[in-house]
Amino acid sequence: MNTRSPGAAIAAAWRRIEAFHDEMFVAPWRQALEREARRQDDTFRALVMLDALGVENPVAYETMELIPYLVGDLHDWHRRMGQSTFGDPGMCC
Amino acid sequence: MPAIVPVLVVLGIFYLGYRYYSSYLARRVYGLDPEFVTPSHAMRDGVDFVPTNKHVLFGHHFTSVAGAAPIVGPAVAVFWGWGPALLWITLGTVFAAGVHDFGSLVVSVRHKAQSIGTLAHDIVSRRARTLFLLIIFFLLTLVNAVFAVVIGNLLVANPAAVIPIFLQIPLAIGIGQYIYRTRSSALFPAIVGVLLLYLAILLGMVLPISVAPLAGALGVSERAVWIVILFAYTFIASQLPVWVLLQPRDYINSHQLFIALGVILLGIVVGFDRIVAPVVNDVPADAPHWFPLLFITIACGAVSGFHSLVASGTSSKQLAKETDARYVGYMGALGEGSLALAAVLAVTAGAVASTAEWNQLYSSFSVASGGATQNFVEGVAGFANNLGLPIAYGTVFAAVVVISFAATTMDTGVRLQRYVVQEIAETVRIRPLTRNIAAATAVAVLIPLALALLPGGGEKGYAFGVLWQLFGTTNQLTAGLALAVIAVWVTKRRRNPIAVLVPLVFLLFMTTWALVINMIEFIEAQQWVLAPLDVIIFVLAIWLIVEAALALWQAWSSRTSEPEREAPLSES
Repeated sequence: MNTRSPGAAIAAAWRRIEAFHDEMFVAPWRQALEREARRQDDTFRALVMLDALGVENPVAYETMELIPYLVGDLHDWHRRMGQSTFGDPGMCC
Repeated sequence: MPAIVPVLVVLGIFYLGYRYYSSYLARRVYGLDPEFVTPSHAMRDGVDFVPTNKHVLFGHHFTSVAGAAPIVGPAVAVFWGWGPALLWITLGTVFAAGVHDFGSLVVSVRHKAQSIGTLAHDIVSRRARTLFLLIIFFLLTLVNAVFAVVIGNLLVANPAAVIPIFLQIPLAIGIGQYIYRTRSSALFPAIVGVLLLYLAILLGMVLPISVAPLAGALGVSERAVWIVILFAYTFIASQLPVWVLLQPRDYINSHQLFIALGVILLGIVVGFDRIVAPVVNDVPADAPHWFPLLFITIACGAVSGFHSLVASGTSSKQLAKETDARYVGYMGALGEGSLALAAVLAVTAGAVASTAEWNQLYSSFSVASGGATQNFVEGVAGFANNLGLPIAYGTVFAAVVVISFAATTMDTGVRLQRYVVQEIAETVRIRPLTRNIAAATAVAVLIPLALALLPGGGEKGYAFGVLWQLFGTTNQLTAGLALAVIAVWVTKRRRNPIAVLVPLVFLLFMTTWALVINMIEFIEAQQWVLAPLDVIIFVLAIWLIVEAALALWQAWSSRTSEPEREAPLSES
């Protein structure tokens, strides 16, 4: 038997409407924000990985210490950039 | 005839189309596989590739494809009577748009969610990508020009709409910032935002803004002043990141779309208005003939190539299951058809009370096409009046809806055109255009601006409807290219392509014929801007026919070998 009070039922219904509304109307907007953030991340990652891409990096010494922070999602990045594999065998995939 | 009758008949046919025809397409033509791993799973990245509930994805897809075009086209085309317009909308939606939208989605899903331009390159021929770019260039040029004229006309006719339209900009930015900073649910701010927008209509009614004094001082028309202001706005807006202005505006527009559709449908049911326009109009002898011009005047609303861009560029990345393509793609086409149906009823039942009044509004093609959008606005005001809203308020409400749609389409259009200009400049090696965003945007703005400022309106130049028809031809060519891609893909898979070939041949035939008729008209009338434009689009049409025929012939010739299948995508 449902023991929820009418107020709680209304609040739950409102939350469901909110969730559906946000998914329907806000998701494309959130997606645009995330895409822009990712684009900036990708640019930054490309700069840090310049050496690995065969381009001389004048600040390689300074950016080297950032590499461990970027390894986590390296696989997703190189796939996004259109390369199915990256670096020497065993380095990533 | 009561307006509710065609509503029930058309929606009934749409239901049958979805229930039976889309089921046939899903099983026998596209061969949907519920086990196929879609790109949203295989390439899931949480941003673009996200498996999405099919009802939510349908909402995203529908709000992306629906805009001002399925309103303006039908509002012009009822010049030939509501019968031919409604017949084309109904048959076009069921047998052409449904096949096209659904097919674009499926082919894209089967090819790593690639866009239709890339698919044309991979499936039709290498040249097809260049053809695609050129068609899109003219499509975007014309869409920006016609929508600038539409908005200019509406702002001149409805000075009360100026304040709500301009207040919408800070309102959108404000809502955007609020949601972004508080990270709260958007429902309450949305309700407040829409209410504020509708309150702004009251303010606009108290303080109507006209540019007549400025136009008088400059010696130009009011419409020309608005067109220049619009393109100046678009030049700036299209260079901002999408999340600053475009997305928040789109967000408010999505709500307006559903509110407007609700007002129209409820207004028809409650008011029980009668259609006062003739089924087939007895048009003047010198008016353009409905055959084949009807089929390009109503592009969006019957079949629109723009949908293939949305289906292949965005929706295909979010499809959770391949079988959802039927619901999202085919139903999206039906949604657009319903909007076109609403537009036909607004201008034939809601706008005027008698046939004599209607005959005045549609006395010639020039008068009809120039006033079509305002007729729609007044029609919606009539339906809103059935629900108790004053006519004056309803008119501004409807004008704000149409202007909002058209303005965001222009923003998107100029933005996309900038990419196309940069890509073409890259091909022909014009460095300043490839590297300078402002220069590329200036090109994207100046060409449609020049077209929009050409003298129009009948005696002194072309009718707006002619420019609209040229836009329609480019839209139908885009649809033709997408249908060619789908037809080749279906043929290679050794499935019966007849359901795709019929709309493909029909569209290319009607579009090419219409281009020839218009070309003769332009040359006879010495329209030395429109005539070359028409010739270029005609050449693109012939090119498309040749590419499609060659690709189909090759696909048909190789039918003896094993049917082509895509390699399954594996989950990452």
